[in-house]
Amino acid sequence: MPVLRTLVSLLALPLPASADDFASTATPLLAKYCYDCHGEKKQKGGIDVHKLDSSEAALRHHRFLENIAEQVELGDMPPDDEDLLPSDAERTALVDEIRGVLAKLETGDFPRNPGRTTVRRLNRNEYNYTVRDLFGIDFQPGRDFPSDGAGGEGFDNVGDALFIHPGLMEKYLAASKKVIAAIYDDPKRLDRVLVAKPSDKNPPESAARAVLLTHASLAFRRRVTDEDLKPLLELFAKHLAAGDSYGESLRLPLQSLLVHPSFLFRMEADQPGKTEWPVDDFELATRLSYFLWASMPDRQLLRLADQGKLSDPAILRAEATRMIADPRAESLARHFAGQWLGFDDLREVSEPDATRFPSFTPTLRVAMYRESVEFFNHLIQSNRPATELIEADYTFANAELARHYGLTGVSGDELQQVPLTDPNRGGVIGQAAILTATSLPLRTSPVKRGKWILDTILGTPPPPPPPDAGVLPADDRSTEGLSFRETLEIHRTKASCAGCHEKIDPLGFGLENFDAIGRWRTKDANGLPVDSLATLPGDITFSSPADLKKLLLSSDELFLRNLCRKMLGYALGRPLEYYDEPVITELVAKLRKDDLKMRSLLLAVIESPPFLNRSATR
Amino acid sequence: MANIQSQKWLMPRRSFLRGAGATLALPFLDAMRPLMAAGSSASLPVRIALLYMPNGVRADRWTPEGDGSKFKLSPILSPLEKHREDLLVLTGLQNKASFTGDGHYVKTGGWLTGTTITQTTGSDIAAGGISMDQIAAQQLGNLTKLPSLELGTEPVATGIDTNVNYTRLYASHISWKTSTVPLPCEINPRVAFDRLFRSRSKGGEKQAADDKSVLDLVRGDAKRLQSQLGQSDQHKLEQYLESIREVERRIEAEAATLGAGENLPPALLKQMDVLDKRISKAMGKASREEELNSRPRFDHGEHCRIMMDLQVLAFWSDSTRVSSFMFGNDVTGRNFSFLEGVNGGHHDLSHHSNDGSKLDQYEKINRWHVEQYAYMLDRMTEIKEGDGNLLDRSMVAFGSPIRDGNSHDPHNVPIVVAGGGKAGLKTGKHVHFDQGTPLCGLWINMLETAGVKAHQLGDASDGLRGIS
Repeated sequence: MPVLRTLVSLLALPLPASADDFASTATPLLAKYCYDCHGEKKQKGGIDVHKLDSSEAALRHHRFLENIAEQVELGDMPPDDEDLLPSDAERTALVDEIRGVLAKLETGDFPRNPGRTTVRRLNRNEYNYTVRDLFGIDFQPGRDFPSDGAGGEGFDNVGDALFIHPGLMEKYLAASKKVIAAIYDDPKRLDRVLVAKPSDKNPPESAARAVLLTHASLAFRRRVTDEDLKPLLELFAKHLAAGDSYGESLRLPLQSLLVHPSFLFRMEADQPGKTEWPVDDFELATRLSYFLWASMPDRQLLRLADQGKLSDPAILRAEATRMIADPRAESLARHFAGQWLGFDDLREVSEPDATRFPSFTPTLRVAMYRESVEFFNHLIQSNRPATELIEADYTFANAELARHYGLTGVSGDELQQVPLTDPNRGGVIGQAAILTATSLPLRTSPVKRGKWILDTILGTPPPPPPPDAGVLPADDRSTEGLSFRETLEIHRTKASCAGCHEKIDPLGFGLENFDAIGRWRTKDANGLPVDSLATLPGDITFSSPADLKKLLLSSDELFLRNLCRKMLGYALGRPLEYYDEPVITELVAKLRKDDLKMRSLLLAVIESPPFLNRSATR
Repeated sequence: MANIQSQKWLMPRRSFLRGAGATLALPFLDAMRPLMAAGSSASLPVRIALLYMPNGVRADRWTPEGDGSKFKLSPILSPLEKHREDLLVLTGLQNKASFTGDGHYVKTGGWLTGTTITQTTGSDIAAGGISMDQIAAQQLGNLTKLPSLELGTEPVATGIDTNVNYTRLYASHISWKTSTVPLPCEINPRVAFDRLFRSRSKGGEKQAADDKSVLDLVRGDAKRLQSQLGQSDQHKLEQYLESIREVERRIEAEAATLGAGENLPPALLKQMDVLDKRISKAMGKASREEELNSRPRFDHGEHCRIMMDLQVLAFWSDSTRVSSFMFGNDVTGRNFSFLEGVNGGHHDLSHHSNDGSKLDQYEKINRWHVEQYAYMLDRMTEIKEGDGNLLDRSMVAFGSPIRDGNSHDPHNVPIVVAGGGKAGLKTGKHVHFDQGTPLCGLWINMLETAGVKAHQLGDASDGLRGIS
């Protein structure tokens, strides 16, 4: 024992204090000049730097770093009226140290980690799709489940944010009953589900075993053990002994599968003694199918997993390619793009005022949503470049939506690909679903739209407004003779607001020709001409969506990096950590190498280390 | 009328039967009825309801004039005039733990817990404590079919707020079963109705047995699988197991009620029927099945009132003794243009910038919420119970975790409690507390009045003086 203890205590020692320049250079400066306002006691503006006491800590909190470096470099922080101000040399030293950490973050020059996803409950959509693919039941038995909250990069497939509570359990139980009833009420369906029937040669027990083995493997998405089967078979036997028919005796065991933890949760096993490992082939199949389809693996995937072939890189790529081409991959457009870009809000949240906007009918609402879905799906299915999200010379519309846009020559209720000649409309920025989702019930919101560009498109969210910021009138029909824009300009003259709003608002002003439900307009609600002239800091000016799109495309790195980040976050279903940053850098590089093609991004995500591996620690 | 609390009614009768021997049952039973009804007021259940209004209030129109019993209701509270003897308006309370973080999520997430929620985009969602309604549910829940009821009108807010780095999930939850398990609101009135009152009479016992078999099976498997998982994953399976246990308990409670015959008073059955029809009418669907499966989209006022009626009937039938209701999620942008003189969304108007017209509209929205609250109190006072009415032993709190929405001011939060006079609350007054008095003190008063032990909650270790 003594030997062992020594070994253990040796291993438990902290790593030799390797030269940590951040701790020796940056931390003392932060302590001296910043802790008073941004330390343990006070966290002005929500910024707390006292945790930044090592390179590793700095890496962990990297999201604040660039902001800190910038403020220190420009002399905005510490504020001029502080008694104690750093010298120029100290400023440079601190900024260099912070930027050094940020550089490491991109190159990955630190111990890497594939990360660890918390066990994920199927969310409401995944439940519906999975039941559909498991039993061919398409009536969305999970429709009355509560909607799921989001975590991580903003998606509802993050295990940490998916809870289970008695109310939901009751709904699982009720839904399982409905599904099984639908199977038992339809002789054809039941015949398909009861894959084995008892006969002279096949006693009921062994037939039931075959049925349950089949469906449990599919429901659990893995090899089933005898321990798994035992309670299912016992329940069957109990009912058979009580005089129920063979089929009837299978009812409850089959129903149990739909409430079973191995069905409701996507569990991944730990591998004791290892710090990280490739996920097994079944786990990989499940990661793959829920990423691309938001549903269970199909039989081919499970077969390949069973044969241990799926992790073979060539086979993995072939399978991923096959799956992307499958209609089920539309879930990426609905759930990934819908939540990332925000057009999912159109389904339940957005509420344009019915009196002000009588043309916003339920059918138009659906057409708007479908436009965004079909557009994104098309980018994937036709392997278009990612930059078409910003600028495209086509969209999808039916007659009603085309009328809304002022396009001619489109008839019928079905959405169809429509060429665009107006350079303002193409791309997600000109899509009605998004323009509506970023408006208020009675007016456009240049601030919301500006924030949407900064946050959703570029991945650089503005900081929160100060608590007493005040807000604009809810309606843009002004009674005081000021145009809405003039009111907004007044608001911006407040010093506490100007710093951010001079970056946010112009982006929204440039879109003012789109009204609150995405129609083109040249006059605002007061009948005054729309003023869409926008001046960004640095004297960059533009005055139309087309100009804005050119501006965005002229330096696309932020946009592409953000697209990659969101895609990775959705695929992994966990909050991204500092060690994921170099992965994002690699994804952008791969995307660029393949002419920005959307499929290459999907494949790069699937082939990335965090998608293929799991770690013992977070 | 005899005591309407069917389960409680039956239990003493049955234990009496066991004790005295069946042969003596009949005459004694008849003698028991009036005896029970007269003497049972003290044992009538005490309930707690918490109504949450998002986005704060117009501060200068909330606080009543004058203290003690001689107070004049403020413009916003004026719809409560009829109930002034049942009211406790409390001024000066705050939840200190919410003075940090952002303007909304911290305030709402911790309203009933008195703690500071974790600032997170998802990896470690936590309220920091159990909410007071769930403390009550833990201790009273075994007496009723449902330990508690969580209702609302808006789906869980999705996405994360990258401005402040909180998951929006916090804006949609005031009830926390544990520090790390938020309980979402049921927003579909049909689902809530069925959960409370659906009849299991047809083949009910077989259903219950089947449900139990299924739950038994998966529970065993979950335990086995749990041991193979890492710690954070085990925690999720623990939630699963806990949920199984509660559903089982509920099935047993239902089966017991069924076995005993559902002995509800005709007036209550009639009201259930009325509400049942009203839900169908409001939802406007072709079938019950469609109602169950649809996202409610109908008049907001009717939606809120139906949700309140559900709480009233749930209390009346003693199906639960604890409820929470969110009029909307925090930061809700709901368009209140349906009110005369209002033109805009709720959150938007709450940021009034001290503009007169916007303040007026904000006030109208606030008063509208109080009117709905008054509706619930009206309903409860109409229902006879024991020697009084349903409100006499129900404490219905109404409030918001911030005062002025424009500045997200967490001091002196707006809060009123109605009812509970016969349970021990000293109602009929406006009480001024010293600045800094914990809101959690009120929660402790309410819990203790309902017979729930609560020694410490947030920053309070004691109830407020002079109100219970």
